[in-house]
Amino acid sequence: MATERKASVTWYGDLMSGEGTIESVTSGVLGPLEVDWANRAEDAQGKTSPEELIAAAHAACFAMALSHGLAQDGHAPERLETSATVTFVPGTGITKSALTVTGSVPGLDEDGFRKAAEDAKENCPVSSALKGNVELELDARLQ
Amino acid sequence: MPHVERHAEVTWTGNLARGEGFITAPSGAFAELPYSAASRVAQRAETTSPEELLAAAHAGCFAMSLAGELREQDARIAVSANVVLDEVEGQGHRIVESLLTVRARAPGLAQEAFEEAVRAADAGCPFSRLIAAGAKVTIDARLEA
Repeated sequence: MATERKASVTWYGDLMSGEGTIESVTSGVLGPLEVDWANRAEDAQGKTSPEELIAAAHAACFAMALSHGLAQDGHAPERLETSATVTFVPGTGITKSALTVTGSVPGLDEDGFRKAAEDAKENCPVSSALKGNVELELDARLQ
Repeated sequence: MPHVERHAEVTWTGNLARGEGFITAPSGAFAELPYSAASRVAQRAETTSPEELLAAAHAGCFAMSLAGELREQDARIAVSANVVLDEVEGQGHRIVESLLTVRARAPGLAQEAFEEAVRAADAGCPFSRLIAAGAKVTIDARLEA
């Protein structure tokens, strides 16, 4: 069955001097969150941006997919720490998402862990949605 | 060319079915947001999920792109994004669609110019382009008086 998740944003003004708010999301746990161009394209001064949200979505999706893959192979992880760094080049677009993971996985060697991480990087739903238009990188290691 | 990086971190404990994770954004905009497999696919969302974060990213991205096209200091642009996760035969769970609903007010803007701006915003929105390879982007846009 399909699952839908929604977010609503209001923007006032033009791009460079205007500002917006992520008013609400389906779950209610986020928002209002302010967004503007300077925080997106220059230094993040406490405000989120589409790229930060994509990074959060990707790191979260990757962690889930990897926990599933490891458990299916009989090596349920104790703990996974993942991150995603999304690169945005204004005028060009979103060019890269670099994933990292450090894992505590009883009974699994580095090779097995890297293989599972590579599989999760290729196949998690967010990777699948982004793939083709963006470079995906992975750095996986056991703790 | 400026090159911007944005980072986020997640800690996950346990397997998929019974484990849970926490999502943190270094900007400080949000921290330690819990999520789990059950809440990700539940019809009623009680925690955030990757799809919800993508919906927030898409709505935010499209609103900025449209603001950039309209170049109207008095514009008010409301965008919501509805991201759909579904099971696709032979592929498991896939993000299949993002539906954007756009309602804009811009004093003096003609309908034709608005429609052109929406098309240009769709073509230019980095997130729309990013997911176009894997998912369908549908836009319902209306200029309000």
